Amino acid sequence: MTENTKYDAIIAGAGHNGLTTAAYLARAGLRVLVVEKNDWIGGAAVSRSLHEGWTYSNCSYVCSLLRREIVRDLDLPKFGLQVIPYEGGASFTKSGDYFAYYSDHDALRREMARHSPRDADAYARYSQAIMRQCRFIRPFLLRDAPDPTSLRPRDLNELAYLVKKAHGLGSRELGETLRFWTMSIGDLLDEHFENDLIKAHLAGSGIIGTGLGVYSPGTAYVLLHHYMGDLDGGIGAWGFARGGMGAITAAMGAAFEHFGGTIRTGSGVEEFIVENGRVTGVALENGDTFHAPVVASNMDVKRTFLKHVPRAKLPGDFATAVERFKIRGSSAKLNIALDRMPDMPAAPPHASFLRGDMHVSESLMELERAYDNWKDGRWSAKPYIDMLIPSQIDPTMAPSGSHMMTVFVQYAPYDLEVNGTRSGANWDDAQRAAMAEVVIDRIAIACPDIRECIVHKEVRSPADIEREVGLTEGNIFQGELTFDQLLFNRPVPGFSQYESPIKGLYLVGSSAHPGGGVMGAPGANAARAILRRETRDNRMKGYAA
Amino acid sequence: MTRFDAIVIGGGINGLTAAAVLARRGKSVCVLDQAETLGGMAAPGPDGAPRGAHLLYNLSPAVRRDIGLGKRDWPFRSAPLPSVALSPDGRHVVLRGSEATNADGSAHSDAGAYRALHGRLAKYGALLRQLAENAPPGFDGKLASRSALQQLVRLGWFGLGLKRLGRDEMRNFLRVLLSNAYDSILDEMPDGPMAGLLAADAVRGAAAGPRAPGTVFSLIYRMGHGGEVTLPMGGMSALCSAFADAARNAGCQIETCVAVTRVLIEAGAACGVETADGRQITAPLVLTSTGAEVTCHLAGPQHFDIEATRRMRNVRARGTAAKVNLRLSGLPAVTGLGRDLMAARLIAAPSATYVERAFNPSKYREMSPNPVIEAVIPSVTDPGLTSGDSHYLSAIVQYAPCDLEGGWTETAKRALAKATIDTLATYMPDLPGQITASEVLTPVDIEAQTGAPGGHWHHAEMSLDQLLTLRPANGLGRYALGPAGLYLCGASAHPGGDIMGLAGRNAALAAIASEGRK
Repeated sequence: MTENTKYDAIIAGAGHNGLTTAAYLARAGLRVLVVEKNDWIGGAAVSRSLHEGWTYSNCSYVCSLLRREIVRDLDLPKFGLQVIPYEGGASFTKSGDYFAYYSDHDALRREMARHSPRDADAYARYSQAIMRQCRFIRPFLLRDAPDPTSLRPRDLNELAYLVKKAHGLGSRELGETLRFWTMSIGDLLDEHFENDLIKAHLAGSGIIGTGLGVYSPGTAYVLLHHYMGDLDGGIGAWGFARGGMGAITAAMGAAFEHFGGTIRTGSGVEEFIVENGRVTGVALENGDTFHAPVVASNMDVKRTFLKHVPRAKLPGDFATAVERFKIRGSSAKLNIALDRMPDMPAAPPHASFLRGDMHVSESLMELERAYDNWKDGRWSAKPYIDMLIPSQIDPTMAPSGSHMMTVFVQYAPYDLEVNGTRSGANWDDAQRAAMAEVVIDRIAIACPDIRECIVHKEVRSPADIEREVGLTEGNIFQGELTFDQLLFNRPVPGFSQYESPIKGLYLVGSSAHPGGGVMGAPGANAARAILRRETRDNRMKGYAA
Repeated sequence: MTRFDAIVIGGGINGLTAAAVLARRGKSVCVLDQAETLGGMAAPGPDGAPRGAHLLYNLSPAVRRDIGLGKRDWPFRSAPLPSVALSPDGRHVVLRGSEATNADGSAHSDAGAYRALHGRLAKYGALLRQLAENAPPGFDGKLASRSALQQLVRLGWFGLGLKRLGRDEMRNFLRVLLSNAYDSILDEMPDGPMAGLLAADAVRGAAAGPRAPGTVFSLIYRMGHGGEVTLPMGGMSALCSAFADAARNAGCQIETCVAVTRVLIEAGAACGVETADGRQITAPLVLTSTGAEVTCHLAGPQHFDIEATRRMRNVRARGTAAKVNLRLSGLPAVTGLGRDLMAARLIAAPSATYVERAFNPSKYREMSPNPVIEAVIPSVTDPGLTSGDSHYLSAIVQYAPCDLEGGWTETAKRALAKATIDTLATYMPDLPGQITASEVLTPVDIEAQTGAPGGHWHHAEMSLDQLLTLRPANGLGRYALGPAGLYLCGASAHPGGDIMGLAGRNAALAAIASEGRK
């Protein structure tokens, strides 16, 4: 065991959470190593140059949820992070109309009234209700999840905090909060609005990355999860990282190295070395071995424990519980290089909302049918798409005059059904191409000449995302965000506070509380837990805004 | 007499229970029901055959005690029935309590898994029953008030019951409670008829499929008393008579064929009702076992605050369960099932995936071409119900949405009957030839006959956001409904549907308690 194989902590996986954990630990003075299987860092927050001249944010593509406390603590702007908010978005219809969403309230109201005066009035009430829920939930993101079965002082304290906050709401608001956590986004929208297009536009965030339909209970929470971010103090605002999502993880990596950390790319973990119930290091695929008393895994819970820890070293019921944790792929991605800005005849020329998120779903029923297709093992005949052209704001993404389009597709199954069998292996070139055609037909609703503009495209099925990024089934959240898998249930009841049954082995990715999105919260919370437990260092604050 | 201490609108099981509880506390009570036969959704048809509900599994002993029917037993006998999960290949699964066997008596390969799951669900069901037997927790301020302390004590007992599960089981309870039936079932056993039966039980009467989060809750909820399914001997008539007699013996005056057209409110307080035949009956307490929105209209929306009116309008009560009742010239045979098992509760739901697929069309206001069916032939167990060789088969059919596209025309009803009979015929090939008469009750018919909102089997969706303190809506969850003296005592109040009587009992107790506070 030479000097440079021994560290205070090793992080497996250079995704944004792993890098966050790594940076906090390095900042606290630990000697930290990050190992990463790919030749590049970032996990699902990456900028890839797949076609000469263009940069693709080929997995995650917009930024909002990154905790500002983390941005501040790690001084990310100093290391090059710059996030530019984008304004609004729109849903386009086959009939050549659109519904535009503006950040400016007056403009939004006028646009809503164009479709439904009643809904224009209702929106104020709806957005207030969402904001109230966001404000209630946000403090819990950077706190540990309370364990209701535990009598330890720390857990009782968290539980008391929860009760205090809940009591402070008052009975009516508490009832509303409980409804929000249990309702479907479809039912919530039906309560407030009448217009199909407006409802379809607002419903999208409730199903992104999720194996549920708009009328499935719990999707109102998923929407809330996407609204909880903020940019420049604007709650719920989204933006582009200049240079693509890779800029975020590049900044994190740079901060980490500035604090003295080391990153080794090109070989992933083969096995977490466990002796006598304690982790002692990692054995990489290329044969290298590194030792540390603390090992943090950025991989999802199934991959970490079912693929890289010998089964015999896991307590039986823990292994079963991990097998039961649901990680289902439901999303695909198209990343497209365009030689020019596509024509969008429905929109007024130079409309500001073209710089935001664009969609083509026209009703909740259409979205629900898209979910039914997924349940049967096929991609949606009329998928929901979240389509953006960041190069309008970020000149680094494409050559001058050309553009880059990112298209998120919901729903596409991991285990594709072909001739009666369902398997991730069914995703071959022919299937990918067929799905791409369906998606491009959808894009063509807004951009009729899209096919003429395409110079290159990358089509990513859930199986491709799994293979390249390492996310099980290509699920972008490292596990469904349903309430049986949130808070003290995430990823496994009794182990929601980052440490696994194997001493010193921590889970720091989105499989851990509070879940997915490019947030960094699991990574930061895990770092705090590691410092507290392993080094008795309590300096890292638990934020409760 | 036209002046009472209390009026109960609706003579179903909940209404009769509320009336009996009030009468036993010394109130003079008048029960008004619009139908000819008492019993609401449990009322039998004119020939004694079941019309709506046909089996019992959640009847509450607490209710029996409080309506004066004694601590030991009901006045009618109940025959426990096994359940049969029908399989298209003839390898049906017979379930007796937590034991699963093949139809030929041999051991079933997943018997152990079923036993474990069933046992666990029953344990959770017993825990939830504690919550059902009390008013839901209220969150209003003053922690030091007597009612708040009582609540804390009750929650404490619940918490103790929870803790007594043991740490691992408690953790599992908290995880599984909010999960979906499809995943929870298929985590334990392969998909097939057994899984299909559990999935079907989880969503009976619901506008949800087994993949919807919250459906494990409904499965657990059905197991409040162990999940044993029983048939009342003497049919549903015996059940309804028992409740009606209890109410009458307690001193209630019961009138049938009386429709209430108005609930009278004066100075913010209920003061009586007006009936279709022009009478006015006065009482300072009015309990209603119809839905909240209907009650709001009967009273006049001006008596409720705007927020409450909006919430009542948004209560989701979209019925999806229809009844198909068949008169048969003989007893059909199920290929692969012994004659004695024709007495069983028969479930046509060959897999959990089948149940989810049956659910899909209902979202788009279409009926399921391949429905999920719970059928029973009561006359096998209770021959006294029919004459000669004839039998009748009662089937709950899902999904048949109340807001069917195009409406429930005669053509649509015939299509529903055909889909039902065709599905049953795949298991009982001689069934079609034995049918002498058929009756189809869609949710629209159920609503017309019983006042159930949307014809919903449980009056309001039993989804997580419409349970406990949120049932039927936020702010309306503790029986009191707006004006003083007006109470909700039907299944749209906690703890909801199934033939239990608890909603009626809890509402009556709440009304008495608040009177005591004046």
